Amino acid sequence: MNRLIEFIKLIYVLVLFVVLEGFALWSYASSSPYTEVKILSRTTAFGASISGAVTSVENFFALSSTNRKLTERVAELNEELHSLKTSSSHMVLDTLSVASASHFRYHPASVVSMTTNRQRNFMVLNRGSEDGIAKDMGVVTPNNELVGYVVSCSDHYCVVQPMLNVEFSTGGRLVDNDHVCVIHWLGTSKYEVDAKELSVYSEPREGMRVEVRSERLPDGVLIGTITEYELNSAKSAYSAKIAIAADMSKLDDVLIVENTHYGELQELMKQME
Amino acid sequence: MTVVLLFLQIFLLDELSIAMWLRPMVFPLIVVLLPMEWRTIWVMLATLAVGVVMDVTLGGAGLYTATLLPLVVIRHWILYITTGRRVESGDQSSLLSRMTLRQLMIYVVAMLGLHHIMFFGLETLSFAAPLRLVATILFSTLLSAIIAWPILRLFISKIVAR
Repeated sequence: MNRLIEFIKLIYVLVLFVVLEGFALWSYASSSPYTEVKILSRTTAFGASISGAVTSVENFFALSSTNRKLTERVAELNEELHSLKTSSSHMVLDTLSVASASHFRYHPASVVSMTTNRQRNFMVLNRGSEDGIAKDMGVVTPNNELVGYVVSCSDHYCVVQPMLNVEFSTGGRLVDNDHVCVIHWLGTSKYEVDAKELSVYSEPREGMRVEVRSERLPDGVLIGTITEYELNSAKSAYSAKIAIAADMSKLDDVLIVENTHYGELQELMKQME
Repeated sequence: MTVVLLFLQIFLLDELSIAMWLRPMVFPLIVVLLPMEWRTIWVMLATLAVGVVMDVTLGGAGLYTATLLPLVVIRHWILYITTGRRVESGDQSSLLSRMTLRQLMIYVVAMLGLHHIMFFGLETLSFAAPLRLVATILFSTLLSAIIAWPILRLFISKIVAR
């Protein structure tokens, strides 16, 4: 006991310094989104090198599962390619077919670290600006389910704002009738997001699938399925709870989606503003 | 002296807008010139108080505190490296008063430089414009040291007179 007290006496100044410094840095980091993302990306770049080693060991043991997912994805893509080739061989080349040429590129990435227990959660991926990753790119699972959007990049890592972040927002679309809505997270459950501003004519139902409607991602990216819905008090729009399709607490491998026309779209939007 | 330095920083130096890369800061002198024979815990609490006052008055949100606190930990080492003097345990005499003005100036400039590196590094959080960052640190440290010179003269005359 005496030795413990002696030891505490020896290090209490250092401990106090670490606590006070940590609190001051935390306070500064959370003072604005810029500092939060910047400090997070810097500190995680250091932490990532450590957790990266741990992750690589975990990845080794998860190889069989990863291989299975990749095989399924390859099969799906082959099937899609085959059907496109078949249909294009019967298609007359016109402006419609040219416009539908894909301008989305997929970059595989692994999750280095992620939080799901905060109001503003972030995720770090092992791909950065040197790999062609940039801010605003979408992130999906290998099963084409929405994860989030890239908000910051360092040379070798990027920070993703997942759906489980109270500042997250994206457009959604009901698959059955194409009605659009706004998707965001209220911070209540890590398994559900909220859809707002659904038209009163959208006739939502439980189990209805909701996909992303955004210039950052191609059509067909699934957000989840409606679990409950209600008319607002003014009876002017529906709001709905959506069960997230992606298992956010168990993400290892993801795909970063790049819209090669995104810069052009941004330029156009700037001109409009 | 603490109050004078705080007022000088808050009401004069922080209001000056000479150039983006020239921002003198003399308030670290409060920490730098605290008696070496004080126990570290008291120095740390005094530094915390100064940092909090600066953060509250200038809206630093923790930036001032975060960059002042490391000075407490490193000041004995910097003193030893720059002047070759070591603080012995149980030393009750004022070590700073036994230093020559040149030694004191070297120690102060080194401490101001380290503080400015931490401050501007944390404030910018980006190496997109490294030359501007280095220029800001260098020129601001230089100007801070120039402003600190008469304060140090005053400080020395006060503690020698005691």
